Amino acid sequence: MPLRRYTGIRKRRLDASQRAFLRYTLLPMVLYMGFWTLFPLLWGFALAFFEYSPRRAGGTFLGLGGENPFVGLAHFRAMLDFSPDAPLHVRTFHLSFKVTLLFVALVVPMNLLITLPLAVLIESVHRRMRPLFRTIFFLPVLAPSVGVAIMWGYLYHPQRGLLNAILGKILGRTVVINWLGDPKLTFWGIPVALLAVIFAYLWQDLGYNLVIFIAALQNIPDAIKDAARIDGANPFQMFFRVTLPMLMPTIQLTAILTMISAFQVFDLVQVMTDGGPKYQTQVLLLHIYNYAFRFQRMGWAAAVSLVMFLVILSLSLLQARFLRTRWEY
Amino acid sequence: MTVHTQRLSWKIFWREWIRPAYVILIPLSLLALVPFVWMILGAFKTGAEIRQIPPTFFPKQFTLENFRTVLTDPDLPLLLFYRNSAIIALANVVQVLFTSSLFGYIFAKFEFRWKGVLFWFIMALMMIPSQLTMIPGYLMLARLGLINNLLGLILPAAIDPFGIFLFRQFAHSIPNDLMDAARVDGANEFQIYWRIVLPQMKPALATFGLLTFMFNWNAYLWPLIVLTEQRVRTLPIILTWYSTRMGNKLHLTMAAAVLVVLPVLLVLMFVQRWIVKGITMSGLRS
Repeated sequence: MPLRRYTGIRKRRLDASQRAFLRYTLLPMVLYMGFWTLFPLLWGFALAFFEYSPRRAGGTFLGLGGENPFVGLAHFRAMLDFSPDAPLHVRTFHLSFKVTLLFVALVVPMNLLITLPLAVLIESVHRRMRPLFRTIFFLPVLAPSVGVAIMWGYLYHPQRGLLNAILGKILGRTVVINWLGDPKLTFWGIPVALLAVIFAYLWQDLGYNLVIFIAALQNIPDAIKDAARIDGANPFQMFFRVTLPMLMPTIQLTAILTMISAFQVFDLVQVMTDGGPKYQTQVLLLHIYNYAFRFQRMGWAAAVSLVMFLVILSLSLLQARFLRTRWEY
Repeated sequence: MTVHTQRLSWKIFWREWIRPAYVILIPLSLLALVPFVWMILGAFKTGAEIRQIPPTFFPKQFTLENFRTVLTDPDLPLLLFYRNSAIIALANVVQVLFTSSLFGYIFAKFEFRWKGVLFWFIMALMMIPSQLTMIPGYLMLARLGLINNLLGLILPAAIDPFGIFLFRQFAHSIPNDLMDAARVDGANEFQIYWRIVLPQMKPALATFGLLTFMFNWNAYLWPLIVLTEQRVRTLPIILTWYSTRMGNKLHLTMAAAVLVVLPVLLVLMFVQRWIVKGITMSGLRS
């Protein structure tokens, strides 16, 4: 029997040089994390309870107090004001929360419905052809999202875009649809501008889940697939009775990861529409960015960040639970 | 026998290479390339042609004029922006790889007081989305005078909790005999990390290094906040700035987009194997 190499953690006492090594590496790390992570984190929490603007001098400690008064839970109470005469920042916050939820609710199922069959299709072709297809669908992941936004902006362009040109060819007349800028365009009650951004987002984001699913498919033991084949399963039965159940843990995990990253969408929206038309694509992070850095109302923006953080945190905790219940086979 | 093989290989060819999957895959992958193709074709059209209604698909006359205009624009010194992007991305790759591998190794191979608390703390930081520290982070940099300074994007980015986690997993598989042998030979602890452990981590270094490079190179929001002066901006920010300034001169915007997006995209394409590995191992996203 081959000797198993010991790779575990040594339990014996550390000698002086090891203790020095740990001291001179861990101490700077703790100080660094305290300064660059913990401190801004606490500061961010505090800001949410102040009416803070960096334009005003404020108190002596971090500019809090004085002209930047403590307002307690006022920001959070304002968020719950759903009356039509609520202040503009509250109404736009509600709008952007709705837009973000809609965005996530559309992106996640669409993403999974495309990537899962696509991964199965790519895995079904000859081994030599797989990297080619995978590369094509993965390429947008490697590109900067700003570049993606500009490419898609050109595709959607009312006069110069390819999309309207193709529609014009099909319909036999000039089509001038303003995909990203017409607030009156809706499809099943969903603003078309939002859908347009979603398609660009899906195109860029597909590659992540695709490669995760391809890896998961390769991890399904051949014995199980062979057994099903010998029992006479057709390709559809193979997919629904063997592949899908085996992939279930991966699907749950990717769904949550996709959800978390869709909640934080910013780049594409900011470049393609900047939240327009009429706030129809103003997602939460764009709302935060606008209030913090364009209007300098950082107290409000910090409060909204905190709410967004709580939403994402609950999703992350869900993810951690799924991670723990890894299937055995 | 030979005849038989011939027939068999045809059968294999039919079974292995002609699949119904191609009927869906080939059109779909062509469709997926359209945004790239449309951008590239636009970059080669003349200003007059790009304004044409309805637009042409292939340029009637290929012109390199757009690239010349973009590259000689005195307001758009692309090389400077490439340099800025490269400094930030490379510096962050180097420091993140160093800290991740060092602390990953320490958490995997040493037992010390507070270890559990410290590791739990780092993992908790992993769950905190960056927008929570975005506003105070900006205020901190402003007080330190690091706004419009490339250091503002480098100094706060030295530790990546995800990297520590990943390298810890990786370091678990390094046999202790290696380190013990070096200790017997009189190497000090840092030498052991640097000479023995680090070379063992090459696959993890490549994977996580490329992921870090990609995320930094493509980053948008944080550089947008920290770098407001033209001379310190990075490529993604300069691309949106140029596109807004050029407005309807789409041929120039597309030429700039090609120059900004394609060179690094092609390089990343050749090393995507590592990036794919990193994503499938960790589920990490930008």
